[in-house]
Amino acid sequence: MAYAYLFKYIIIGDTGVGKSCLLLQFTDKRFQPVHDLTIGVEFGARMITIDGKQIKLQIWDTAGQESFRSITRSYYRGAAGALLVYDITRRDTFNHLTTWLEDARQHSNSNMVIMLIGNKSDLESRREVKKEEGEAFAREHGLIFMETSAKTASNVEEAFINTAKEIYEKIQEGVFDINNEANGIKIGPQHAATNATHAGNQGGQQAGGGCC
Amino acid sequence: MLSSVPHRKTWWKWKKTVKVTRSYPTFSSPNAWKAFRGLLPVDGEPNPGVGLGVVEGLLCQKVHSPEFNLFPDSVVFESNFVQVKRGRNWLDIHKASDTTALGVTSSVPCLPLPNIILMASVKWHQGQSQTWNRPSTAPSIFLKRILPLKFVELQVCDRLQRILRLRTITEKIYYLKLHSDHPETVFHFWIQLVEILQKGLSITTKDPRILVTHCLVPTDYCSPSGDAKLVQKKLPASQPSESLIQLVAKEESEVLSQILADLHQQHQPRSSKKAETNKHSSGKETPCEDSIPCTRDLHWRDSFMNGEWERENPSGPQPLSLLSTLAASTRPQLAPPIGNLI
Repeated sequence: MAYAYLFKYIIIGDTGVGKSCLLLQFTDKRFQPVHDLTIGVEFGARMITIDGKQIKLQIWDTAGQESFRSITRSYYRGAAGALLVYDITRRDTFNHLTTWLEDARQHSNSNMVIMLIGNKSDLESRREVKKEEGEAFAREHGLIFMETSAKTASNVEEAFINTAKEIYEKIQEGVFDINNEANGIKIGPQHAATNATHAGNQGGQQAGGGCC
Repeated sequence: MLSSVPHRKTWWKWKKTVKVTRSYPTFSSPNAWKAFRGLLPVDGEPNPGVGLGVVEGLLCQKVHSPEFNLFPDSVVFESNFVQVKRGRNWLDIHKASDTTALGVTSSVPCLPLPNIILMASVKWHQGQSQTWNRPSTAPSIFLKRILPLKFVELQVCDRLQRILRLRTITEKIYYLKLHSDHPETVFHFWIQLVEILQKGLSITTKDPRILVTHCLVPTDYCSPSGDAKLVQKKLPASQPSESLIQLVAKEESEVLSQILADLHQQHQPRSSKKAETNKHSSGKETPCEDSIPCTRDLHWRDSFMNGEWERENPSGPQPLSLLSTLAASTRPQLAPPIGNLI
């Protein structure tokens, strides 16, 4: 299917926080309580619409287990967005966020939009990390924040789509050079020609909504 | 059997100047040899690998496309499979229009062996011939996963039915039946690949009869003469010492052992009894092997731990795909075969 833009996302975070479940909920709208441990990278994709434009989200679900990390971090490169996930019922997954964040920033471009996700919000009775803590961490590090539940689908759509909106806004603001594929954004075939004419006008310009 | 023994622990000791203009085939039968020689293109002629649908196929096109732009300089060896499961007979898991593309490649072309497995799902149009080689209308292909080969075991499961068994370190097992549209030759390629992954490849070691023009170690350590012979030389002080390399390999091994231990814990309720059962069935397929605890096969992981091809981001030049190297080793030769592989 034709798209105006393709955004590359990575999903990162400790093992067992629900990264693959979030992806499955977003792409297939279903929840799978038992999931195989991810090794390497699993892929998912879905079309969304922002500002009347078809945007393809190409999502790279990475292995969370420490032992696979040296491999998966090599795939961070060229991501436009990252979902950094922790489990609200496991304090340790929250404590490891700084390491994940450093890793992500070191191995991807500086403009990458990062959405911090506190997953498993349906398990309120087992909560170990307050929502306020997540918000504070996000504020401190310049991230967007949401609590989600892959099980109930609460906020899952919003997490992926809000990240895309942020990326889209950055494109409009000229923060992302859309002709540089290292930014994790690719222009769809039908928009390539149009954008070629606009590319020169991008630097720092507040672009209008419909032009790209 | 292979005429040369893989030298995974020590190959970096040698400075290699590899001239891949001639090498020695290692196939068992003339027919197999005839089949394999087709992989490598002769100058000016179309690549027969493309004709067979194992090179530059749909999966390769997908992975190399701007959408993914993965491993752009690496060859992808691929085929079309049908995912099956064990029953009294092999049963197809998916609809006939859904197939699986399986490919191997390398994260960087200079590695002597592939280190990546690619899996994609393919949806064919209704009534469309599923011939992998240049289908009239391209089917939809979705890249599903990238698996580091060091966490995967690939085996020939059923030669007659042309079925491969792919098992991940997390005990996910796929039975993949080569699509009927592929000629027999293609399954021979996979058999060959499985053998090579398990035993190494003579060209990746120190076989002095193989002339190698490219260098598998950093340029600084290449012989300036470009002599077509292997040169044995001590590494300069700036090179990591053997002990350091061994230490790294040991650490990798420990990491892997840890994973296996973790997994073993996860599988604890079912593992101990079956581990005992499987001790006696090594090398044989058993109906219950879907539940084999991962701790059983520490040895096959260990055997993969010391090769340069294990490294995801090796330093040094990347002059030639290791898959090209693989193909090169099967090139038609002036000299007679020196051994049988299978």
